[in-house]
Amino acid sequence: MSDSTATEIGRTLSSTTGEMVEVTGSRDKLGVWMIIVSCTTGTIALLVSYAYLWSLNVNSAWAPTSGSANWAPVWPFWVIFTAMFIATLIMWNGYRGLCSGKVAAMKSAALLSSLLLLGAFVAQIFQIARFPFGPADGAYASATLWLAIANGIWLFLAVFLAMAIFNRTRAGRVTPENPNHARLVAMFLTYLCVAAFLGSVFTTVMQDSPNTQSPPFGTFSQ
Amino acid sequence: MSTAVAIHEQAHVPQPKQISNPGGFLRRTNFLTALVSGVVTAAIFWFATDKITSAVTGPGATNNMSLPSGLNISITMMYIGWVLGFMAGIGAFAGPIRWFLGHDLTHADAEYMAGKDMGREKFWKFTTDHKVVGIQYLVVTLILFGFGGLLAMLIRTELGATWTEVFNPNFYNSIIGTHGIVMIIAMIIVISGPIGNFIVPIMCGARDMAFPRLNALSIWLLIAAIPPLVSNLLMGGIRDGWTVYQPLADQAPIGMIGYQVCIITFAFSTGIASVNLITTIVRMRAAGMTWSRTPILVYGILGSAIMGLVWFPMYQYSQILALSDRTLLTSFFVPASGGSVWLYENLFWLLGHPEVYVIVIPATAGVLEYLPVFVRKPLFSYKLAVAGIFGVVGLSAVVWVHHMYMTGWAPQSNYPFMMSTEMISIPFSFLVLVMLGTMWRGMPWKRLPMMAVYAVVWNKVIGGITGVYLSDTPVDQYMHGSMFVVAHFHYMLMGAGLFGAMGVISYFFPKMIGRYLDEFWGSVGFWTAFAGFQVTFMSMFVAGLQGMPRRVLQFDSLFNISNWISTIGAYVIGIGMLIFLYAIVDSWRNGIIAPDNPWGGKTLENFTSTPVPHENFPVLPVVTSGPYDFGTPDPYELADDAIMRKTEGAEKVSARS
Repeated sequence: MSDSTATEIGRTLSSTTGEMVEVTGSRDKLGVWMIIVSCTTGTIALLVSYAYLWSLNVNSAWAPTSGSANWAPVWPFWVIFTAMFIATLIMWNGYRGLCSGKVAAMKSAALLSSLLLLGAFVAQIFQIARFPFGPADGAYASATLWLAIANGIWLFLAVFLAMAIFNRTRAGRVTPENPNHARLVAMFLTYLCVAAFLGSVFTTVMQDSPNTQSPPFGTFSQ
Repeated sequence: MSTAVAIHEQAHVPQPKQISNPGGFLRRTNFLTALVSGVVTAAIFWFATDKITSAVTGPGATNNMSLPSGLNISITMMYIGWVLGFMAGIGAFAGPIRWFLGHDLTHADAEYMAGKDMGREKFWKFTTDHKVVGIQYLVVTLILFGFGGLLAMLIRTELGATWTEVFNPNFYNSIIGTHGIVMIIAMIIVISGPIGNFIVPIMCGARDMAFPRLNALSIWLLIAAIPPLVSNLLMGGIRDGWTVYQPLADQAPIGMIGYQVCIITFAFSTGIASVNLITTIVRMRAAGMTWSRTPILVYGILGSAIMGLVWFPMYQYSQILALSDRTLLTSFFVPASGGSVWLYENLFWLLGHPEVYVIVIPATAGVLEYLPVFVRKPLFSYKLAVAGIFGVVGLSAVVWVHHMYMTGWAPQSNYPFMMSTEMISIPFSFLVLVMLGTMWRGMPWKRLPMMAVYAVVWNKVIGGITGVYLSDTPVDQYMHGSMFVVAHFHYMLMGAGLFGAMGVISYFFPKMIGRYLDEFWGSVGFWTAFAGFQVTFMSMFVAGLQGMPRRVLQFDSLFNISNWISTIGAYVIGIGMLIFLYAIVDSWRNGIIAPDNPWGGKTLENFTSTPVPHENFPVLPVVTSGPYDFGTPDPYELADDAIMRKTEGAEKVSARS
C-alpha cells in the first residue's frame, strides 16, 4: 500500500511516490481484491474438505462419537459471526462518515470495530478451547476445528487492521482527502464476514452425515 | 514501439516527519542478520515447544501412524520459528509495524529501501527496487536449478548402474521427491521471477511494481522457504515423490515437515508475487498501451499470475491440513479416523495440474515476445496468441481429475475430464501455430534466443501430443505410473519450459545485466543440453512403452539398455547446462557491452538506457503504436510510391493519347 500524503493545490499526493492518492488508491483496491480472491480459494478448500468428509463419512468416523466427544454447539459460531458483521458495518459507516468530512466518526468507528473484533477473537479462542471434542475425535472434529482456527487467524489480522485504521486516523494519515486505507480494511472485513458466515452455515447445517452406510476403507497403515 | 514523452510535472510533496535516518530499522538488517535471527528463533521455538509438549503429552504420545507427535510439533515449530525469525531479521515486519503506528514512509525512506546509490549491498537487503528483486530471483533460480540438476544426475546414476545399487532405497526415493519439488519451484519462478519482476514493469512503462514492499517480501519468503525443504534430506527425506500422496506422507519421517513448511511459505510468496504482477499489469501500463498494444509476454505473465493466485491456496491448504494430521492428530487424510486420501488428491491436483501451465505459459509467451524481433515480422495473429493464453488459463480449472483416473475416485467423471484435457491442447496449439506463422517465410537472425524457438517448438509438439495420449482414459490405464509419463512431463516442463526460459533469459540478459550473453558458449551449452535431452527422454519413452514403472530402484533387465542410454543423455544434459552456466557467469563479468536497444526491439524496455536507471525512465513514456510493428512500410516510401505510380500512369495515358 502506498502511504499518505499531503495536499497541494486541491490534489492529495502520496508522500512516497508523489502520485495522486486516487491513483495509488486504485492500485491498492485492485490488490486487495486480488488478495480476497486468493483467500477465497483457501476458504473454499476448507469448506470443500468439510463437505467432502461429511458426505463420505469414511469408516463411519465422521461423527465425534468416541468417549465424551460430541457435536460442537452452533451458537458460538453465530455469536462470533454477528460480532464480526456488526464490526464490519461500523467500519463501513465510519468510512462513509470520513468521506463526508467527519474524521471523529471514523476514529470512533475504527475504535469500536477494533474492540468488537477483539471480543470476537477472544470468543473464538474460548470456543476452540471448549470444543466438546479433541482434534483426533474423527473427521467432523478436524474440519470444525480448522474452520475455527482459520477464523481465529483472520480475526487476529482483522484486529490488527482495525486498530491500525484507528491509529492512522488519529495520526492524520487517514483523512477525508485520502480515505483509501479505511475502505480497503472495510472491504477485507466484508470478505471475512462472508467466510465466517459460510463456516457457520456449514457447521450448523451439516452435522449428521447423509451417508449412513459408508463402506469400510483400508487403513493403509504400515 | 514508438514513444512520445510526457512531461511529468514534479510537484513538491510535503513529507511526513522523518523519524530517524532514511530507512530506519532496515539500515541495520541484511541477509546475515536474517540468518542469525532465523537460526536463533528456530532454536528458541524448538526448545520451548519441546519442553511444553513433553509436559503436556508426555514422552510416549504418538500420532496416527505411531510417530512421536511431540517431535512432530517441535520440528514444525522449529521451521515456523526459522521462517518468522528470518523474515524479522531481514526487516520484513518493519513496514507493517510502521503502517500500524501511522509512521508513513517519506520519499527518502522509499529511496533508501529501493537501494538508490547503495552499490552491491542492496542485493543482500530487503530492497524494494524491482530490478534488484529480478536479479535476486535470477540468482535463486540458478541455485535451485543447480541443486535440482545435481539430484537428477544422482537419480540417473542409480538407474544407469543396473549392475549395482548405488544408494539406499529410502535415500533414492528422497532424492526423487526432492528433485521433483525443487525443479517445480525453480520452473515456476524462472520466468515470472527474474523477467516478471525486472522486465515487465519496464515493458509496461512503469517506474516500479505496484507494491514494492510486497515485491521484496515475495523473494525473501522464497529464500526462507528453501532451507526447510533442503534439510529434509538430513531428516529421513521425502520418499513419496513431489506429490507426497497420503497416507504415505503421514507415515513419512520428519523430513516431510520440511516439505510442508516449504510449500506453505512458498505459496505465500507466490500469492504475493501474483497480486503484485496482476496489479502492475492492469493498473500501471503506460498511457496509450491499450490491451491490443500490450506485449504478449505481459499477457503470458498475467495468465500465469492469475492461475497461481487462484489455485495455489488449494495446494497450500492441502499441506496445512496434512501438517495438522501429523502434529494435531486431526484426520483429514487418515481413513481410519474418517479422513480421505481422495480429498488430498483433489486439493493437490487442483493446483498440481494448472501449475504446468503456470510454468509453460510464461516461457511460451516469452519466446513469442522476441520471435518477431528476430524475424523482423509482426507477430502472426496476435489475437490468437492472446486467446490461446486465456483459453489455457480458463481450461486449466477443469483438467485436474486426469491425474486420478486410476485412483477409483468418481469413475463417471473420467470421460468429461478426458474431454476437457484434450480440449486444452487446442488453445495450446494456437500458441505453436502463432510461432510457426511468425516464422513462416521469415529470414530469422540466427542468434541464441532464436535457436531456443526451434527447440521449444520441437519439444512442445512432442510433449503436447504425448499428453493428449495420456489424457485418454483407456491409454492411461496402461501408461499410468510408467516412465512414459515421466518422459512426457519432462518434455513439457523442461523441453518447453526450461529451454524456452533459456531463450528468454538470453534475450533479456543484455537488458538486465548490461552485457550480451556469450553467443558461442551459450549456443554450445544450449545445443549440448538439447541433444542430451532428446537422448535421455526419447529413450525414457521407449522404457515406458516397454512397461517400466516410474519411481523404482530395481527393474527388469529388459529395461537396461534404455536406462543406460537415458543416463548417458542425462550426463550430456549436465555438461551442456554447466557450459551454459559458465556462459552466464562469464558474460556477467566479461560480456560484450550491450547498447540501449540490444536487439532492435520495439517494446518499451528498449527505449530506456542500459543499464536501466534507478527510475527506469527519465519521463514516463506514451505508447503510440503496437509492439510488433516490424515490416510496416515506411509511410514516406508509400507516399513516394504512390506519386511514382500516378506519374507512371499519367505518362502511359499521355503516350496512348
